[in-house]
Amino acid sequence: MTARPDAPLKVTGRATYALDNVVEGAAHGYLVLSTVARGELASMDVEAVRAAPGVLAVYTPFEPLPLHPVNSALLGRMWLPLQDKDVRYHGQPIGFVVAETFEQARDAAALADVAYHERPAATSFSDGLTSAVDAQPAASEAPPSLTVLADGVASIEDALEASDVTIDATYETAAQNHAAMEPHSALAVWSGGELTVYAGNQAPHLVASDLASAVDVPVDAVHVENPVVGGAFGGKATSMPALLASAAAVALDRPVKAALTREQVFTATANRPATRQRIALGARRDGGLVAVRHDSWSTTTREIGFVEPTSHGTSREWYTTENLAISQKAVPLDVPPATFMRAPGEAPGSFALESAVDELAEAIGMDPVALRLRNNSTAPPGEDLQWSSKHLDECFEIGAARFGWADRTPGGRRDGDWLVGMGTATAMFPGLRFPATVGVTLHDDGTADVATAGADPGTGLLGVLRIVGAESLDVPQDRVVPRLGDSRLPPGGLSGGSTATASAGSATMVAASTVIEQLVALASSEEGPLRGHDVGYAHGTVYALDAPERDPMTFGDVLRATGRSTLSATGTTAPGEETTKHSFGSWGAQFCEVRVHRLTREVRVSRLLGVFDAGRIINPRTARGQLAGGMIWGVSAALHEGIEFDDDGRMSRRDLADYLLPVNADIPDVDVQFVEHPDTLLSDLGARGLGEIGIVGVAAAVANAVHNATGIRVRRLPIRIEDLLEDG
Amino acid sequence: MNIALEINGTTEHLDVAPGVTLLDALRERLGVTGPKKGCDRGQCGACTVHIGGRTALSCLTLAATVTQPVTTVEGLSTPERLHPMQRAFAEHDALQCGFCTPGQIMSAVAAADRGLAEPDEIREFMSGNLCRCSAYPTIVAAVRDGASEEGRADATV
Ligand code: FES
Ligand code: FES
Repeated sequence: MTARPDAPLKVTGRATYALDNVVEGAAHGYLVLSTVARGELASMDVEAVRAAPGVLAVYTPFEPLPLHPVNSALLGRMWLPLQDKDVRYHGQPIGFVVAETFEQARDAAALADVAYHERPAATSFSDGLTSAVDAQPAASEAPPSLTVLADGVASIEDALEASDVTIDATYETAAQNHAAMEPHSALAVWSGGELTVYAGNQAPHLVASDLASAVDVPVDAVHVENPVVGGAFGGKATSMPALLASAAAVALDRPVKAALTREQVFTATANRPATRQRIALGARRDGGLVAVRHDSWSTTTREIGFVEPTSHGTSREWYTTENLAISQKAVPLDVPPATFMRAPGEAPGSFALESAVDELAEAIGMDPVALRLRNNSTAPPGEDLQWSSKHLDECFEIGAARFGWADRTPGGRRDGDWLVGMGTATAMFPGLRFPATVGVTLHDDGTADVATAGADPGTGLLGVLRIVGAESLDVPQDRVVPRLGDSRLPPGGLSGGSTATASAGSATMVAASTVIEQLVALASSEEGPLRGHDVGYAHGTVYALDAPERDPMTFGDVLRATGRSTLSATGTTAPGEETTKHSFGSWGAQFCEVRVHRLTREVRVSRLLGVFDAGRIINPRTARGQLAGGMIWGVSAALHEGIEFDDDGRMSRRDLADYLLPVNADIPDVDVQFVEHPDTLLSDLGARGLGEIGIVGVAAAVANAVHNATGIRVRRLPIRIEDLLEDG
Repeated sequence: MNIALEINGTTEHLDVAPGVTLLDALRERLGVTGPKKGCDRGQCGACTVHIGGRTALSCLTLAATVTQPVTTVEGLSTPERLHPMQRAFAEHDALQCGFCTPGQIMSAVAAADRGLAEPDEIREFMSGNLCRCSAYPTIVAAVRDGASEEGRADATV
């Protein structure tokens, strides 16, 4: 049984997403957003809004909803809406209208008359480069710049100069929106001093604590539920509607529903920033890397905040090189905030690095797969900690054979009016774990719950809990009920950083073995059915080691015999000593075939193959879904997606007609393969994460294939038809 | 205004403003929350339902204009038995977060009704339903399988 436990609910429309909760008397909230990119609110005339039918309350920075400071475990100090009059970007929340119905709130919100003291806004990345500042890359303790030089080498420039072959190029990637199909939304219910919030998110226990701070109630009085989440991808660590609906529910003493419209999602959440990266590679004639230099710029807000860690996320670790220099800068602009999005750093970083490696292969005249394997690392450059379990060579070997890489010719091939090319790239994502607690409860009916707060926004964590729970308790999967998406459950299973399976999975193993110990002790105790015996546990049953003639008892039998309905234990795991002994990462080889029309220059991806080394694969079916989904995200970054700003700082593509995402007809069959080497140095479970690695490298593989097909090297994403017109 | 809607075989009477969409009427007034609001603009397909047996975007349909019977994803199955297309989506793992799934399945049933069986035809027909989780390859497999099963199921009636 490997289908998703929640599949029956999802295919029948019975899965309950945040706004599917229907409660009596719920009011509806609607956000008002700024229409300038920088300045100060001069006034907000909301008389007409207030007078509109059904309106219950209007909140603005002039009459704010009370919100208290939030120091979020995930996001640090959070910006809170409607608390000040500064306008930092076009599309910033500046008002919240609550009315009896959704239509009344929406129609009333349109009547707000807002005046600004407008100031000139900076939203152009290229213009902003002159004001770039050194910046701490996100989720890293490393300094912005880092240099590793071989003995006797004075500088990275010297190392490059001394190389037989060098390439030096600049790459750009567009800002992107997560665009989960479920817009950020919430229903908040305030009753008897308790706040219950239904909101899609990545970790309900963390969101509950943020909301408790914001509305200033004790954390145990806040209950966040997200049994299903309509996609997250890094974008649902927080939720503007949950904040506003919660505060309004408390202020008005009635349930409040709120959702961002699709257009509002693009600015009232946070995006993947645009990046610019300059890479210089120096190599010997045999392909051995002598020098890697990778300088990165990320757009940010004026407060800096999140910085896309492109060079730290890739060149820092991927290849063996004698000399390495990386740097990270921020380009502060008046744009919506940035945040984590699927493979933050690795996704855009790999476009640059893996395009550059392809350029180097061409310059040397070496096969791109061979060049990558030539520089395969056993440890990050300049570090002693070897990779715990790295099988990238196997990924490339299997991939090249399966894809027919040997048929690739340097100038591509022609098929009628189509120019056909192949490209490849390395994929890598760190193997991480976060602290997690999982509870296992045995029931007297012979079933067991495996529960953690966490979230399964489509990743398959629910199924992982069931599989690992069943295996650890040594019972069939249909006896295990996995539970997620409730802040009252044991804290763990954060959906982020590709950590959930390794973290919650290993905590499940600990909880299961603890509860088995308790069960065995109970069975042989004074009140137990096997009192006085030596007791063992196997196949979900307890038996007397010293009395083989006695029938084994299921855990349900033992509980009933002792008059108990349940027996519970929790298990907690966290990163530990292993991080001082090894480096951890998942690896993969991406292969792509594109067809470029000779005349129209339309690019179609015709084949995609990814071979991944992600440790043990717990559920191959959902793992494939995650990886194929990630690979399609890579195609999307390469050919479809991109946020742009008008001269007045307004985001110019902010709905699903203009912000291009692949549709079914854009995507071929996707071949996903695993080389399964359990990584037991990371955890007893042996699994590393795979939610993010699928996207990594794909955009470069596409661009490399386009180059193979057309001879044109495109160094800016997304690749546009006009990029391919020259030489046409 | 007072209107009557036939939803999944049951006639419902309700009082709605003229501007209320079928999607909001279903979700907020009738508690039929299978159809999802992904964009409210006709750009994603998450709200797809059948009206009079044809696919329609319920976010672009005013409730007051609906005269023919409406079927939503909830109306395809009985508590005991999944529709063959629903079973195919579950079996092929043609979903991840599941938010687009109700709309995908309503379009998939329409694809099967038209007898579409070639992967390219299915891809084209299903392209009005975005899936950000990008379960597209398994959606194509599920639609093929669900369609052939539906045919078999019909044949045995
Ligand atoms: S909600 Fe109707 S098409 Fe998106
Ligand atoms: S399953 Fe998540 S959008 Fe399709």
